[in-house]
Amino acid sequence: MNPAEPLLPAVGRVVFTAAQIHSRVQELGAQISRDHAGQELVVIGILKGTLFFLADLLRCLTIPAIVDFMAISRFGPSSETGGAARLVKDLDLSLHQRQVLVVEDIVDTGFTLSYLLRTLNTRRPASLKVCVLLNRPRRRMIDLTLDYVGFEAPDEFVVGYGLQVEERFRQLPYIAVYNPAT
Amino acid sequence: MGPLSNPNRRSDFAHPIEAEFARLLDFYRIPWEYEPTTFPLAADEAGNLLQAFTPDFFLPLQELYVELTTRRQDLITDKNRKIRTLKQQYPRVNIKLLNRRDMTSLLLKYGMTGESGQLIGSPNNPYESG
Repeated sequence: MNPAEPLLPAVGRVVFTAAQIHSRVQELGAQISRDHAGQELVVIGILKGTLFFLADLLRCLTIPAIVDFMAISRFGPSSETGGAARLVKDLDLSLHQRQVLVVEDIVDTGFTLSYLLRTLNTRRPASLKVCVLLNRPRRRMIDLTLDYVGFEAPDEFVVGYGLQVEERFRQLPYIAVYNPAT
Repeated sequence: MGPLSNPNRRSDFAHPIEAEFARLLDFYRIPWEYEPTTFPLAADEAGNLLQAFTPDFFLPLQELYVELTTRRQDLITDKNRKIRTLKQQYPRVNIKLLNRRDMTSLLLKYGMTGESGQLIGSPNNPYESG
């Protein structure tokens, strides 16, 4: 894709508007705050897809929260990806005996999230819950418990609100179908 | 007749997309086996096997069989029918079909748009993976 190309031709039907996302994130924030009343929550954002979701969700929490980030190496072409997944950005905080919430953008096969949860469970948190913006259970291959789900994702590739193709479209305030043919 | 250990088990992959899927599983350290089991689906009165189905992958920790296809939706009727039959005859077997759209989405997700033509072909000329 040429960087000079306009953004929108490849962006199709809007699946979730900015207003719908805003409303749902508020609901999630309220639910998470109720469930963790009286606790301090460690909120872990998985880079980079949770960029906007995490920022918005945090501002909807009414309980004490501290934030940290994680990133794992990305699977890609064999010429660029060697070996197995690894952390490219680890946490700065200890999770030992803390209430932890992992925030992820989208879960479909479950490969990435299961890898992250395996890693985080070794840090012995008091509790470890998961909040995802989009869930696409039809493609799930690893059974996972998702404690908080924003929306069920359509069976189409979507971009926006942090979700990307080749690092593009993250900045869209809504979530839309990506049309690769355009 | 129950599931059989695949008598024709291969040591290599039948299609490039299967090799990529195996590489993806290895990346996330998910154990897998390639075409380990053949499920008899139909036999004649003498017990001779008339129809069988061998899923591409088995994930032992998830007890899940995975079948990949890069054919268009309208060209996988036979495969869908076999999977339906398998689910009826072996209701405790978990099997997941990843279709062309799923494979395209995975390639997009992992920034492999440049490889999609080689791995799954174009919509009008799909790479013939199962």
